[in-house]
Amino acid sequence: MKESVGWAPSLIPDSPRTTDQIEFHSIYIKKSTMDKAPAIETRDLTIRFGGNIAVNEVSLVFEEYHLKSIIGPNGAGKTTLFNLISGQYKPTSGRVYLNGEDVTGLDPASRTKLGIGRSFQLTNIFPTLTVLENVRLALQSKVDVGMVFWHHWRSYTELEDRAYDLLKQVLLEDRWRYAASTLTHGEQRKLEIAILLGLDPAVLLLDEPTAGMSIEEVPAILEIIQDIKAAHNRTILLVEHKFDMIMTVSDTIAVLKEGQLICDDTPEAVSNNEKVQAAYLGGGVKHG
Amino acid sequence: MMINDMTPVQRDRLREQQTKYNRPSFWIQVALVVVLILVPLVPSFRVMDMVAKIMIFTVVVASYDLILGYTGLLSFAHAMFFGIGAYSVALLCYHSSSPQWYHLILAVVAALTLSVILALVLAFFSLRTKAIFFAMLSLALADFFHILGMTWSDLTLGEDGITFSLPGILNVEWSGVNLLGVHFTPRVMTYYLILVAAVFLFMGLLRFVRSPVGRVLKSIRDNEQRSTALGYKTFRYQIYSIVFGSSIASLGGILFAVWLRFVDPESVLGVFSMVDYLLMVIIGGLGTLYGSIIGATFFMATQAWLPDLLKGIAAFFPDYEIIHRIAERWMAFLGLMFIVAIMVFPKGVVGTVREIIDRRKASGAG
Repeated sequence: MKESVGWAPSLIPDSPRTTDQIEFHSIYIKKSTMDKAPAIETRDLTIRFGGNIAVNEVSLVFEEYHLKSIIGPNGAGKTTLFNLISGQYKPTSGRVYLNGEDVTGLDPASRTKLGIGRSFQLTNIFPTLTVLENVRLALQSKVDVGMVFWHHWRSYTELEDRAYDLLKQVLLEDRWRYAASTLTHGEQRKLEIAILLGLDPAVLLLDEPTAGMSIEEVPAILEIIQDIKAAHNRTILLVEHKFDMIMTVSDTIAVLKEGQLICDDTPEAVSNNEKVQAAYLGGGVKHG
Repeated sequence: MMINDMTPVQRDRLREQQTKYNRPSFWIQVALVVVLILVPLVPSFRVMDMVAKIMIFTVVVASYDLILGYTGLLSFAHAMFFGIGAYSVALLCYHSSSPQWYHLILAVVAALTLSVILALVLAFFSLRTKAIFFAMLSLALADFFHILGMTWSDLTLGEDGITFSLPGILNVEWSGVNLLGVHFTPRVMTYYLILVAAVFLFMGLLRFVRSPVGRVLKSIRDNEQRSTALGYKTFRYQIYSIVFGSSIASLGGILFAVWLRFVDPESVLGVFSMVDYLLMVIIGGLGTLYGSIIGATFFMATQAWLPDLLKGIAAFFPDYEIIHRIAERWMAFLGLMFIVAIMVFPKGVVGTVREIIDRRKASGAG
């Protein structure tokens, strides 16, 4: 039996094949052990829309390889904060740092190139392409073959194999040859995470990955997020509404209320924090 | 690696690789090429003439399909690129007293250079704004070249067109050679030159759409926003496709001029020939590439034989004048046939057939 089915020039040096598929990806990441600048840091980040301050002087530190969730009542400014970090919005004042470098002035595409990958609340995939192809295109954009027209696309076997490995990570491998539009909503969210992983970002911004999902589908997503976290090579920022999910998966939790940071601590400390209880319960009592 | 250790993707790839040469589609293509090689044995110049034109227009229409079907840009300048190729070979051969082989090579270089520059200009000035602007600018540019061809008489001989001769074994004065009882005339040699070039160019186009670039183009057509979010610069890919498709069109123009040994503004630069291209692309099926073979064949064959066919039918009814009158208006029938073809195959022949096959597969699996 042949060792490899590839018949094209190799793109990436072979990495050892281990049972831990996540290993595959770590070869992209430049690990800097020299300085320990946080993966993401915001300093006095503020944005105003007219007279309304959506995010008010939020200073947060996102440690490398940690998972920090951002929670808060509706309208607390969670998604706005995400938009500021990924570059969709420009802050009125304050700075955003990626690995200690100021990225406040950069557009979203440049931040993507620097390693900030973000998912959106609304599903965004290639509907008529196959599930595998969706992920393969993400991988292709990372290697420098986008301008090649003289090789067959299937000759880049590593890209396909890697895409399949990513599908395994999000438990979608059985569906690899189907058109993405035939997937259920939950499966499409998983596919989106796989596409995101294909971009191999050092920082993952997940904006409500379980939005619109049925209860049965939630544990699978939780498992995927935990797997990504266990690989210990990505910093994860998570916005979620499902409180029990956040408690299990987070290293730290930041709580926003009306654009202001009211607490940033471990899950236990946050759940015992009086201000947080007031923000949630107090709000609930007031309106209920 | 044992086959059991392989992922389904690897197995699929291996199967595809192993069955590369024993799939029906491969043998259909081989058979097609064999038929094309044997065509000059048919003792009819008309057949050879038609097949040569079908080959040329298959390439031109396929390159148009790359721009229209794969990239989604409506260009009216495709005939212009075709004409640039045709005129570059005609001018070089005509204005040199005795054309040599290097004139042909020069013509290829000139045609490619000019079409790359013009395609870049077209793309840079219009693509950043709106798709409709691209269509309009391409139309204006094409019309400009058409008028240039008609009015710059010192160079192009205006509307009279240029009749020119070709070098070496392609020249009509070459006596030809007898091989295995077959007489290879200059015409036959030109035919084979076109055959080799057309097969090569068509394979080049196929490779282009099946390359990483082609995949990105497909993704842009599917969801441009997502494609951009993956880091693909959409604009760059569209330029790439326009430049590639337009260059192939100009090479198709060279083949056309070499076959006719004559060019005039109306036949190679005329903006109205864009209507023919559009018809051929749509009948074959947008975004299929193979559709161009069917589109070009259908178009050329009906144009060549429909008048005869109708006259033949009319001959059976010598007493009915009305039938003779209808037969004389064969162009109307051509139009009617196109309407029927598009109604029966709404996505083009290849597109519709593929859709039916896919649906069968899906219902068989589910």
